[in-house]
Amino acid sequence: MSADGAESGELKQPTLQSETPDYNDAYDAIVVGAGLAGTAAALTMAREGLDVLLLERGPAPGTKNVFGGVLYTPTIRELVDIDDAPMERYIAEKRFSMLTSDGDETAVSIRPGAWHDEPHNDSYTVLRRRFDEWFAKQAVEAGATLVTETTVTGVLRDGQTIVGVETDRPNGELRAPVVVLAEGANSLVSEAADLKERPDREDVAVSVKEVFKLDRETIDDRFRLDGDAGAAYHYFGEGAVGQAVGGGFVYTNKRTISVGIAYRIEDAAQGQTPEETLDAFESHPAVAPLIRGARRTEYAAHVIPEGGAKAMPDLVHDGAVVVGDAAGLVLNSGVHLEGTNMAVESGYHAGKAIAAALEDDRSDESALVAYPRDLEQSFVVENLRHYDWFQGTIADDRQFLFEDLPRALADAETEYFKMDRTSKDEHTDAARDRLLEAAGGWFGAAKRAWRFRRMLS
Amino acid sequence: MSTVQPHVPDVSIEDRLYTVKYRDAGESHLGIKNADVCTDCTTNECEQVCPAAVWTVEEGSNGVPSIAYENCLECGTCRFGCPSDNVEWTYPKTGGGVVFKQG
Repeated sequence: MSADGAESGELKQPTLQSETPDYNDAYDAIVVGAGLAGTAAALTMAREGLDVLLLERGPAPGTKNVFGGVLYTPTIRELVDIDDAPMERYIAEKRFSMLTSDGDETAVSIRPGAWHDEPHNDSYTVLRRRFDEWFAKQAVEAGATLVTETTVTGVLRDGQTIVGVETDRPNGELRAPVVVLAEGANSLVSEAADLKERPDREDVAVSVKEVFKLDRETIDDRFRLDGDAGAAYHYFGEGAVGQAVGGGFVYTNKRTISVGIAYRIEDAAQGQTPEETLDAFESHPAVAPLIRGARRTEYAAHVIPEGGAKAMPDLVHDGAVVVGDAAGLVLNSGVHLEGTNMAVESGYHAGKAIAAALEDDRSDESALVAYPRDLEQSFVVENLRHYDWFQGTIADDRQFLFEDLPRALADAETEYFKMDRTSKDEHTDAARDRLLEAAGGWFGAAKRAWRFRRMLS
Repeated sequence: MSTVQPHVPDVSIEDRLYTVKYRDAGESHLGIKNADVCTDCTTNECEQVCPAAVWTVEEGSNGVPSIAYENCLECGTCRFGCPSDNVEWTYPKTGGGVVFKQG
């Protein structure tokens, strides 16, 4: 089937009808979910010569997937030639803005010249529907079998060992030595199989996003872009997501822009609804002009696991591994918002480990342990560990970070640049006083600098 | 301080949901585990957190929300949002449910 797929250049949808022959143990591994982590695992295993079945519940890969907007490609580039990949724009600018609810904006913009050169710091905006379908096609061309419109409803066990999956197809039980759980943030199968616990509410964020259509020239003009260059704008402060812990974002695609917010479900549950928060963000004077006159083309929402390293479940079990969002591999350090790179990295290491284990005819936990070990030694777990302190610290200091600081900055800069007949000295003193007051004096500022020192260490 | 008047976008949740493509699976993939828990609930957090107006606690419903499953974006927020873990959440059957065009 995979050979046909390669020839026609189209994704085949092999059927698993009740009359189909017995597929039990026809495959070396079954991958649950054709997102970035699952496809990376399937691709890696197919390259290692394994027979891989990649199951996707949507009508095509990507149809159920939502993300903020940047695909990080260092590992994907190792796996496939991304020259023909359906990228939107490369990130040429990162911009960090603090917004007050009064309409103030204080921004830092970063536009290194080097980002214009290949490989563009391995950062691209993509639309997941297009990218994921393309990426899954690479796995199919490598020999994996993709079956869509098939929902995995549980795992099959023999004693403690996982020996396959149960699907919603007629006679839909499928057996294979290894199951890769790449089912995303809503990991119903892993949770039901006791492979992980349901994450705590305070460790999960809700994100809502809209894609707006604009013509290419308008996007280039509004965001000061040329050619395939793109922008990633991140927003913090009360003007972005109100009293909640989180932020807003705007990403440029070729002919659309993605606009959204992400913040803790805990805050939504306490009365700050996603829709109202999105409305307020889109109405902010710093954001509204970017989307003026644009047409809404899609509204989407998803949860994001933000528990960090401490919330990571066990990654290997007898006959199964957990990868990507299902394993909670998302980094939010305030300025680093990553997940796509970690998903691909985990799928890659899992695929390698499975191939090595099956080489010895084994699929028990101890035979698969190379996966967590390699992931541990990679940037994925190292970065998650490094920023494990972050979520709790910002939640504790939210009043200062999201409300007092943006307002103090806006007041201080207004003071510093004030045009009147008072001397610059006096304005400078007043601006400094305003900042110090917000930080709690020299002592308070020093204390906060110490608390957040790990941002730079 | 500024005098900027906040401009609220002229868009309703219906307008937003209208942009989303669905394949109706014909039956709800969402449910309630125990209606008594909803009757005792005073916070209606499912309604608060849902970005797609799936959960609505109507007057006289004894606190049990109605479920507009065909609006569901499959984001999963309600699963985590309900403090009593009373949301029954499954994936829609055989490719049903939301079909994102862009994602």
